[in-house]
Amino acid sequence: MSDKHKKQTAVKLSGLYGDYLVMLVAPLVLAVYQYGARALAVVASGIAGAVVTDIIFCLLLGRPFLLRDLSNVFTGAAMALMMPAGVPLYVPVAASFFAVGIVRIPFGGSLRSPFVPGAAGFAFASVCFKEQIFDYSYNSASKLMGEHSLGYILSQGKSVHLDAINVLDILSGNVAGPMGAGCALLMVACCAVLLLKRKNSLLTVAGFVAVCAVYAVIFPRVNASAFTSVFLELSSGALLFAAVFFLTDYASVPDGAVAKLICGGICGLFCMLMRTMGTYEETVCFAVLLANGFTPVINSGIGAIRNRFGKKEAAQ
Amino acid sequence: MKALTELFIVAFYTVFVQNLVLSSGLGISEAIRVSAKPGTFGRIAVMISGFSVVTGTLCGLIDMIPAVSGISFAMRGLIYGGVLAAVFALVAVIAKFIFGASDKFLSTLGIAALNTLVFAVPHINNHAAYSLAGSVGSGIGAGAAFVLAALLINKGSQLLKENEDIPEVFRGTPAMLFYVAMISLAFAGFSDTNIFG
Amino acid sequence: MNKTPSFKDIFLKNAVIFNPVLIQLAGLCPVVAASTSLKSSAMLSAVAFAELIAVSVIASALLKKLPRWVRVPLYFVIGLALICPALWYVETQTLTVLSMSMKIFIPLIAINSVVAVHCEQFAVKNDVKTAFFSSAAAGIGASLVFVTAGALREIIGSSSIGGIELNLPVAFKGMTLPFGCLILLGFMSAVLKTFIGKKYPEYFGVHSSVAAKPGDELPEKEDIPAQQPDEASLPAEEKIPDSVSEEDIKIKTEEEIEEFFKSLGLDFEEKGDEG
Repeated sequence: MSDKHKKQTAVKLSGLYGDYLVMLVAPLVLAVYQYGARALAVVASGIAGAVVTDIIFCLLLGRPFLLRDLSNVFTGAAMALMMPAGVPLYVPVAASFFAVGIVRIPFGGSLRSPFVPGAAGFAFASVCFKEQIFDYSYNSASKLMGEHSLGYILSQGKSVHLDAINVLDILSGNVAGPMGAGCALLMVACCAVLLLKRKNSLLTVAGFVAVCAVYAVIFPRVNASAFTSVFLELSSGALLFAAVFFLTDYASVPDGAVAKLICGGICGLFCMLMRTMGTYEETVCFAVLLANGFTPVINSGIGAIRNRFGKKEAAQ
Repeated sequence: MKALTELFIVAFYTVFVQNLVLSSGLGISEAIRVSAKPGTFGRIAVMISGFSVVTGTLCGLIDMIPAVSGISFAMRGLIYGGVLAAVFALVAVIAKFIFGASDKFLSTLGIAALNTLVFAVPHINNHAAYSLAGSVGSGIGAGAAFVLAALLINKGSQLLKENEDIPEVFRGTPAMLFYVAMISLAFAGFSDTNIFG
Repeated sequence: MNKTPSFKDIFLKNAVIFNPVLIQLAGLCPVVAASTSLKSSAMLSAVAFAELIAVSVIASALLKKLPRWVRVPLYFVIGLALICPALWYVETQTLTVLSMSMKIFIPLIAINSVVAVHCEQFAVKNDVKTAFFSSAAAGIGASLVFVTAGALREIIGSSSIGGIELNLPVAFKGMTLPFGCLILLGFMSAVLKTFIGKKYPEYFGVHSSVAAKPGDELPEKEDIPAQQPDEASLPAEEKIPDSVSEEDIKIKTEEEIEEFFKSLGLDFEEKGDEG
C-alpha cells in the first residue's frame, strides 16, 4: 500500500464531504432565492441520480452501500449547482450517473478516483447536452444583461465598461449563468472556510486563479482594460466554483506545495485556452480533468527532480 | 516568418485543439502499447514526427500534380500508403546497411512509421488544405501529440496498478480504457467533432 | 499429439480469451474513430475481417522466412493492395455512397494493428490452414466488437439504428465521440472478463495482467513463444510437421498464459488481481 493510499484510507469521508456540503449550503440558498423551487428540483435530481447510481452499482458489484460517506450527495449537488435553473431534470441525472458509475466506482471510490467525478460528470453533460447546459434564459429577465451570461459577452469580444453598479451585480451573482456558481463573493467565503480546514489545498486554487488572471491580461477577449478582462474572466461561468470545489479534491490533487501550484497553473492555462479556442462557453471542468491527467506526471517529475537534487546534496 | 507562424499554429492545433491521438483516436493502440515503455517515448516521437513530416510533405507535393488532385479517395490512399512504405523502406535500409541498426531498432522504426497516426497525416493535410509549412507543423504536432498521449497514459497506468480498491470486474483493461476515455473527454473541451466529419 | 486443433479451441482462444480489441487493445483506432454507426462499423469490420484473413494466409504461406522488420511493412503493403482497389471499385463502379469519414478510414484499416499483431503472433508461426482459422476467429472477435460498439453508439448517441430513427427521449451525443467509445469498450471488456471468469476460470487474471502493463511494442521474433520450434534449430529426427498440436494451440495453465503475455512483452509478475 503506497503512502498516499495509507493517507487516503485514514481520511474520514463523511467529515471531508460534510465540510464541502456545508460550503455548498450558501450557493444553494442563493440559487433558491434567485430561481425558486426549480433550483431545488435540479439539485435534488442530481443528488438522486448519484445515490441511485451508487446503489445500482453496489448491488451489481456485491458491495455495501454507504450513504454516510456523503460523496455522492456532494457530487450530485455540486454538479447541479453549476447548471442553469431551467435545465431539463434528466441532465443532472445523466451527469450524476456518469460521475458515479463511470468515474467514481470503476476507479475504486471517492478517495481513489484519479479524476474528479463531479468535473467529469459536468464535462460529459456539456458534450451531450450543450444547448440545455448553456441556456441561461430561465427566470433571467431581471438580471444584469438579461439572458446573456458573462461567458457569452466575453465570447463576443465587444467593448465593455464596468461601473460600481454592475460590478456589484456581477460579484453577487445577479447575472445569467450557473444557478449556484455565479456569486464570486460566496466563493471567496468558501475559500476562507477552506483556509481554516485544509489550507494546503488552496494552493491549487491560487495557482489556477493566478494563471487565469495572467492569461486574461495577456490575451483579453474583450476590448477593455486589463482589470476588466481579469474581473470578467474570473467572475464568468463556474470558474471559481469549480476551482474551490473540484481543484481541492483530496484524491486527485498532487502532493506538495509546488506540485499543487503547478497543477493549478496547468488547469488555469488549459481552461483559458479552451475558452479562447474551444467550442464551449464553460470549460473549467474539462481543464480540471486534464489537470487530473497531468497530476501523476507532475508528481513523478517533481519526485525525479527531488531525487536528483537529493543525490547531488548527498554527494557534496 | 509567416510560414513559421503557420507551422507553429498547426502544430499547436494538432497537439491540443484536435489532439490526433486522444481527440481523434488515431494511433491510440500504439500509444497505449508504447506507454508501457517510457524510455522509448522520445525516440518514437521523433520518429513519428520525422515520418509524418516527410510523408506529409511528399504527399502534399504529389497532390499538387494536376492529374492527382481529382483522383478518388481509394487511389489517394494507395498513393499515400505507397509513399509511406517507400519512405520507411528507404530509412530502414539506410539504418540497417549503413548504420548497422539492430533488428530491434528497426522494429521500433516500423511501429513509429506504420501506424494509423502517420498514415492519417497526409489525409489530414489534404483535408485541411494545409500549405507546405502547415504540413510540416502537422507532422511535428503528430509526434508531439503521440508522446503527450503516451506520457499521460503511462503515468495513469502506474496509478491504476497501485490502486488496490478498483473493483475486481473493472481491474486491468476496463479501468485502463476508462482512464484513457477520461483524458479523451478532457480534450473534447477543445473540440467536440470527429476529425473527418 | 499432432492432430489439428478444433475450430472451437481456435475460436475460443483468438476471438474470446485473447480478443484482439478488448484484451490486446489492438485495432482501437478504427473502432474508436470511425465506428460511430451500425453501417460504418459493419463496413469497417467486413474490410478488417477480409484483410486479416488474406494477409494472415499470405504471411503464413510466403513470409515466414523474412526478418520481422521486413514482414511488418509487407502486411501493410499487402493490405493496401487489397483494400484500395476494392474501395476504388465500390466508389466508382457501384452506386454505393460512402461518407467522407469512411473513404478515409477504410484505407487506414490496412495499417491497423490487429493484422500486424495477429500475423506476428500466429500466422508466421503456423501452417496456412491454422493461420486461416485463427485469423478468421480473431476477425470474428474483432468484428463483433466493432459492430456491437457501432450499434450501441448509434443507438445511445444518435437515437437511431442502421439509419432508422428510434425517437428515444434522450440522445447522448458524447457517445459518438472517441471517449464515448472507449467507455463502451471498457464496459464490454468488463463484461468479457466476467464471462471468462465464470465460464473459463482457468484463464481469469489474464485481463488484469494485460492492463497492468497494457501492451508493448509488437513482440520481438525471438520472444514469441513458438507454437512449433524453429526447424533449423532441431536435429533432423526431432523436426516436426507444420501442423500444430491441440496442446500447442490451447493455452490452459497459468504458466502458459504467462508465457503468452511474455511474448507480448508484458510482465505477468505485475499482476493486478488475484484471479
